[in-house]
Amino acid sequence: MNEITNRIRRLRFDHGEMTQQELAEKVGVTRQTIIALEAGKYTPSLALAFRLARAFGKGVEEVFQCDQSGG
Amino acid sequence: MNAEQKRAWLAIASGVACLGALVVIAIFWGIKFAPAAFGFLGVNGLGGFIGSKEKADERDLAICRKASIAGFVASYLAFCAGCMGVWVGVYAFGHRQTVSVHTVAEITMIGWGTCLWVRAIVILVLYGRHVEPSGE
Repeated sequence: MNEITNRIRRLRFDHGEMTQQELAEKVGVTRQTIIALEAGKYTPSLALAFRLARAFGKGVEEVFQCDQSGG
Repeated sequence: MNAEQKRAWLAIASGVACLGALVVIAIFWGIKFAPAAFGFLGVNGLGGFIGSKEKADERDLAICRKASIAGFVASYLAFCAGCMGVWVGVYAFGHRQTVSVHTVAEITMIGWGTCLWVRAIVILVLYGRHVEPSGE
């Protein structure tokens, strides 16, 4: 099973301790969705993944990782 | 808690009130008047005023979509079970050829109530669980 993990929390703090609300407004989602993303409870769409990566000035693979354990 | 969760709690509260009223009316006034309790389902119409200006994002839409499918499936099953229950009770074992004109309305309300409650429960459960995007 492929599990998508992310570094959003780490990147927020690396970007001047950006708040969840600020990031949510930047990418056009609710704060609840940012919380779910950081907790690994939501896998974003490709469009949202790109918006998140751009918000941090990174590539998608620098923000999201896919653990391909167990085939 | 967002608007969708508040609407889900309203649906559950109205469902509990509906079932409570159903039992109370059946005990004190008789089973004939019990369907009047379905009037509590009308309270859900007020849900349209909850968070009407609040924006929903892709996760909210994915959760609503899954919950609506679950609600539809459950209501379809409830409606079919209700129809078959009437068939068994009236035709197969009741040996009657007619049903009350109230039966269709009652089965419809049971189906509608099932849709509301299942959708509400699935919404509340999915907001606490892992969700995949809707695939759009």
